[in-house]
Amino acid sequence: MATDYWFSKLCYDLQRPGAGAEYRADREKVLARYPLAPEVLAAIRADDVATLAPLVNAYLLRFYFGAAGMNDETFVAKLHAMQKEPAHG
Amino acid sequence: MAELVGAFAASHAPLIARDWAKLPAASREIITADFAELGRRLAATRPDVLIELAPDHWTNFFIDNLPSICIGVGASHDGPPEPFMKDFPRPIAGDAAFAQHIAKTAFEEDFEPSISHHMALDHGFCIPLSKLGLPRLPRLVPIVVNNLEPPMPSIRRCFAWGRLLAKAIATYPDNIRVAILGSGGLSHSIGEPTMGAIDEAFDRDCIKAFQDGAEGPLTRLLDDRMEAAGNGTHEVRNWVIAHSAAGNRGFDLIDYRVMPEVYVGCGWASWRV
Repeated sequence: MATDYWFSKLCYDLQRPGAGAEYRADREKVLARYPLAPEVLAAIRADDVATLAPLVNAYLLRFYFGAAGMNDETFVAKLHAMQKEPAHG
Repeated sequence: MAELVGAFAASHAPLIARDWAKLPAASREIITADFAELGRRLAATRPDVLIELAPDHWTNFFIDNLPSICIGVGASHDGPPEPFMKDFPRPIAGDAAFAQHIAKTAFEEDFEPSISHHMALDHGFCIPLSKLGLPRLPRLVPIVVNNLEPPMPSIRRCFAWGRLLAKAIATYPDNIRVAILGSGGLSHSIGEPTMGAIDEAFDRDCIKAFQDGAEGPLTRLLDDRMEAAGNGTHEVRNWVIAHSAAGNRGFDLIDYRVMPEVYVGCGWASWRV
């Protein structure tokens, strides 16, 4: 469920043609366009799936990490690890 | 007068398209055969128009403006934007007059759907269409059902939408043949900590409830267990609308397969109408 509008907006916008490539080439340039909370920005920079997952619709989360360059196997492994860890926040 | 000539349902796992070449040959054969059988049954109804129910996977809508139900009333629709669907033929012919009749009927019956004159139909709509093997597509009236982001239409409301579609078809003055296709389901989990999990027990109970047909037990099953069966399982709403439009009877399972290679408990079905 989407609870962080600007991270959700980033994920949604990365679906535009060419946006994923731009993000992978210069992540900070794209991030500067969004008024993201400092803790969200830190989680994005750390590819912290567990912290970001509760902030956005799960389909957009999957799309985001694909656009950011994470392969399916790594993404799924990080999600599965959440089942074994105490919840963040 | 228009006539409802068939109701159908099929899964639409995106990996069926994105990873088609990587899937085991046996999986490709199963998927191909089951869609072909569904396509054969659909073609046999000789539909002029197909009403298709599917979620919008963040293609047309965002949380800025997120309809629960949106009827595509355009004379044509854009094809899927996903790169792995780039070969899908476009534009997709619509039926503006019939779609507007559905919308008008809805408002007369105290439903308040959104309408869109121009939508892009993503893999949720187009994977079944691409795999059915139809010689030509009927005119398509797409209806987006929010299956992705809470709050979503209740199962009770989905049954009501099915009855409404049946009424809209029955009251349309033109002599057209109309089929319905619910796209999505059965159980799957996407982008959640349980990603990849398939709840076979839920799926088989769900299939049994469709076969039994009664609204109450199916509603209770989905209300009680759909959420825990994975976020993608919410797409079963589209099967419920098709089931209800067909009069809650005559469900015939073509096939059900647990397919972890596409992350989905895949089902194909038709209803007698």
